Amino acid sequence: MMKKAVEVILLLFLLVSMPHAKGTRYSPPGKPTLTRCRSPEKETFTCWWEPGSDGGLPTTHALYYRKENSETVYECPDYRTAGENSCFFNKNNTSIWVNYNITVVATNTLGSTFSDPMDIDVVYIVKPNPPERLAVTVKEDKSWPFLRVSWEPPHKADTRSGWITLMYEIRVKLEQENKWEMHLAGQQKMFNIFSLRSGGSYLVQVRCKPDHGFWSEWSSTSYIEVPDYFPREKSVWILITVFSAFIFVILFWLLHMNSHSLKHCILPPVPGPKIKGFDKQLLKNGKSEEIFSALMVPDFPPTTSSNFEDLLVEYLEVYIPEGQELTLQESKDLHDGCLKSEGSTSDSDSGRGSCDSHTLLIDNCGEAKEEERQQDQERMGMEAQRHQKDWEEKVLNYAHEDIVSPDMSSGRVKTWPSVFSPLPQYSSNPPDQQSSLEMAKQHYLSDSLFLPDSSSTYLTQPGHSTRESLEPSYCEFRLSNKQPHQLHPQMQASQQLHMTHSDVNISSIGCKQAPAGLQSPDLRSTQYVEVQKVNKEDMVLLQPVGKGCRHIELCPKMPQGDNYSKVKGVNSDNILLLQRGVMEEDRCPCEDQETNGAREHSHTASTVTTTQKPTACIHTAMPVQDEMVLAVNGYVDTAIMCTLPTY
Amino acid sequence: MESTRRKRKKQRGGEDTKADQEKKREMAQRKINGNKLFMTVLYAVAACGAVPISDLLDRASQRSDTLHSLSTMLTQDLDSHFPPIGRMIMPRPSMCHTSSLQTPNDKEQALQVSESDLMSLARSLLQAWSDPLEVLSTSVKTLPHPAQNSISNKIKELQEHSKSLGDGLNILSGKVRKWVRQAQTISSLPYSGGNDIGQDRISKLTNFHFLLSCFRRDSHKIDSFLKVLRCRAAKLQPEMC
Repeated sequence: MMKKAVEVILLLFLLVSMPHAKGTRYSPPGKPTLTRCRSPEKETFTCWWEPGSDGGLPTTHALYYRKENSETVYECPDYRTAGENSCFFNKNNTSIWVNYNITVVATNTLGSTFSDPMDIDVVYIVKPNPPERLAVTVKEDKSWPFLRVSWEPPHKADTRSGWITLMYEIRVKLEQENKWEMHLAGQQKMFNIFSLRSGGSYLVQVRCKPDHGFWSEWSSTSYIEVPDYFPREKSVWILITVFSAFIFVILFWLLHMNSHSLKHCILPPVPGPKIKGFDKQLLKNGKSEEIFSALMVPDFPPTTSSNFEDLLVEYLEVYIPEGQELTLQESKDLHDGCLKSEGSTSDSDSGRGSCDSHTLLIDNCGEAKEEERQQDQERMGMEAQRHQKDWEEKVLNYAHEDIVSPDMSSGRVKTWPSVFSPLPQYSSNPPDQQSSLEMAKQHYLSDSLFLPDSSSTYLTQPGHSTRESLEPSYCEFRLSNKQPHQLHPQMQASQQLHMTHSDVNISSIGCKQAPAGLQSPDLRSTQYVEVQKVNKEDMVLLQPVGKGCRHIELCPKMPQGDNYSKVKGVNSDNILLLQRGVMEEDRCPCEDQETNGAREHSHTASTVTTTQKPTACIHTAMPVQDEMVLAVNGYVDTAIMCTLPTY
Repeated sequence: MESTRRKRKKQRGGEDTKADQEKKREMAQRKINGNKLFMTVLYAVAACGAVPISDLLDRASQRSDTLHSLSTMLTQDLDSHFPPIGRMIMPRPSMCHTSSLQTPNDKEQALQVSESDLMSLARSLLQAWSDPLEVLSTSVKTLPHPAQNSISNKIKELQEHSKSLGDGLNILSGKVRKWVRQAQTISSLPYSGGNDIGQDRISKLTNFHFLLSCFRRDSHKIDSFLKVLRCRAAKLQPEMC
C-alpha cells in the first residue's frame, strides 16, 4: 500500500515536473509576418514570410490569397520554387492591375495564427533580375584609352515588347579604392568610361530598374586592366623640370628686382673722400696732377716757383685787447727755412668742421688740425715732399694765431697751422678779423719763437702792427708725420714756440679756464700755452704756462701775466730756444726749470711729436729724442693742453 | 481734338486712297502667297510625317511616366498621415469609376490587344479622369492633412500633365491613318462621386486616398499601353526596346 502510494506520488511528481524540467510549454505558433513580395518581370511574383515562434510544436504555414473582385480564397500554389517560407505565383496565377490580399497562417497542434494581410498589386512590386553578360573592354582613342561596358537585360524581362522598360546603372572603381563611381546609363545597353588611370585595374558592375519599380541587385563584377599609356617616370621628370624652371624664373626675377639693394648688402659702397670742395671725379680719373692741383689751396703749398720769402711770416701778432700782447716777430733767421703757410683765415675746407663747435675741446681741434695738416701734406704728393723737405730745412715755421680778442665770445682758437695769415690782419682790426674768422674756431695762438736776438717781448699791443715790432723768429711746430725721422734732426734744429692763446672762451669751451686771466679781459685775453714736450707719438703737450707743473689739463688757471716764452735764440741745430718771459709773476717751478733747460732743449718743430703724457713740465731735461720731446722753456702757458695726435 | 483727328483721318484716307489701294493689293497678294506657302508646307509636313510617330509616342510615354510618378508620390504622402481605421473603411479598388473599362489583366492579354485599341483605352482612361481630378483639386483645400500645400500643388501638376497628354494623344490619333479610319471609341466613364468627398475628417481622407489610388492604377495602365505602343512603333529603332 505504502509502496504503491509512493509510486503513484512519484509518477505524479514526475509527470508534473517533467514539463518544468524541460522548460517549454506548448503554445500555438507565433504570428508570422509577410516580409515582401516581388515580381521579377511583371508576369510572376513571389511572397516571402517570416514565421513566428513555433510554440514548441511543429508548425506549418499556409498562404492564402484573395483577389480583389472575388471572395474566393486560394491557397498558394507553389511553396517550394522560391525556397523556404515562400510562395511562388506563376503566370497563370498572376494577374496584373489586380489587388491581391495575401495572408499567411501558421498552424501547429495547438492552434493557428494568422498574419497581417497584405495588399499588393503586381505592377508595383517589380524588381528585375540583374543584367546579364556584362562585358568590359578597353578601347584605344589616340593613346587615351577608355572603357566600353556592354550588357544584356535579364533574360526574363521582356523589354522587346515594351512590357518592361528598364533603366541601367553602372558603377566602377579601382581595385584598391573603396569608393564606387556611379554612372546612370538610361535605357541603353552600352556605356563608355573615360579618364582612366594608366595601368590601373578596374571593377565594373551594372544593375537595372524598371520605370516604376525597384532596383535590381548588382551584377557580377567584371575586371579590366588599363594599359600604361602614360609613362610615370617621364611624367615625374617633366613635372620636376617645369617646377624647377618656374622657381628659377621667380628667383631670377626677384634678384633682378632687388639687385640694387643686394649690391649694397654684399658689396657695400666704399666711402669716398668727403672733402668740401674736393671733386671725387678727379680721384677716379687717377691723374695725380689734377688731384693735387685740385687740392691745392691757391697759395698753398708754395710751389717751387714761389718765393719763399713771400711766404715768410712777417710776424705773429697776438692780440691782447688791452693788456698783454705779444708781438710776433719775424725772424730773419727763419727766413730761409720758414715757410709761411698761408692759411686763409677763413679756411673753409680743412679742419673747419670739428673745431667750429664751441663745445669741443681744443684737443680735438688741435688734433683735427694736425691731421688735416698732415692730410694736406700727404696729398701733396711728390711736389709736396719737396716742399716738405724744404720746410724741414727751414725749420722755422711761423705760426700765426689769430688774435683772439677778449670779446670773442665764440672763443675761437685757431690752431696755429691754420692760422697763417698776414699779420696785419690780426693787428688791424681784431674785431674784424674775428668777424672774418669763423666762429667757434679754436685756435691755438702760438707765439712764434723769439729769437734770442730780438729783445722783443711777446706782448704786443692791440692794434699794434706786428711789423713794427721786432721780428721774432718763429718756429712753427711743424706737423709732419710723414717723415718724422727725417724731421727729427731738423726738428731739433727748429725751435718751436708755441704760444697758444687761449681765449677766455676757449677755456670756457672746455679747456681750462684761466680764471684770473680771464677775468681781466685785458690782460687775460690771451692765454699762453707752453709746449711741455713732444711725446713719442709726435704729440705736442702743451701746458698752460704759469702753474707750470700742473698737468696741462689740470691747470685751470692761467698764470697771471705770466709765462711768456721768449725766444732766446736759435741754436745751430735750428732749434728755437725759448726762455721764459720776465713778466711772469708766478713762476712755476717747472718754469724755472724750463728756463734752465730752455737753452738746452730744443724743440723739434717740424715734427709734431707730442708726448702722450701731458705730465708736468717736461721741460727739464728733455733731451730731444727721437720722439721729439719738446721742452719748452718759458712757454706761454696755455690754458689748454694741446696734445697733438700721433700719427 | 477729335474733330481734327477725324479730319486728319479723312484727309489721310483721301490722300491714301490711290497709293494705299495699291499697297493693299500688294499686301493681299503677299498674304495669299504666304498662305499658300504655309499650307503647302503644312501639307508636306503632314504628308511626309515630319515628326515620326515613334517620336510622338515617345513623348507621350514620357508624359504618362511623369503622370504616374506624380500620382505615386501623392499616395505615399497621403499614406504617411492616414488613420489606420481609414484602411478599414476604404472601398475596394473595384469600386473605382473606371473599373468598368475592360483592360488586359496580364501580359499575354495586353500584347494581344491591337494598337488602336490600346490607344483608345489610354485615351478613354485619360478622359475619365479629367473631372475627378477637378474634384480633387477643389477638395484638397479643405483636406485635413499637414502636407496640404504640396498635395495641392501636385494635384495641379497632375491636371496639367493629364491635359497635355490628352491633347497629345488626340493629335497622335489623328496622325495615324489606321486609327483615324477605325474611329476610335472613347468610352465614357463618368464620375459619380460628385463634388463632395466627405464631411468628416476620416471620410475626407479616406475618399481622397481612394480616388488617388484609383488614379494611380489608371495612370499606370496608360503608361504601360503607351510604352507598348512605343516599342511596336519603333521597329526602325530596335535599341529603343
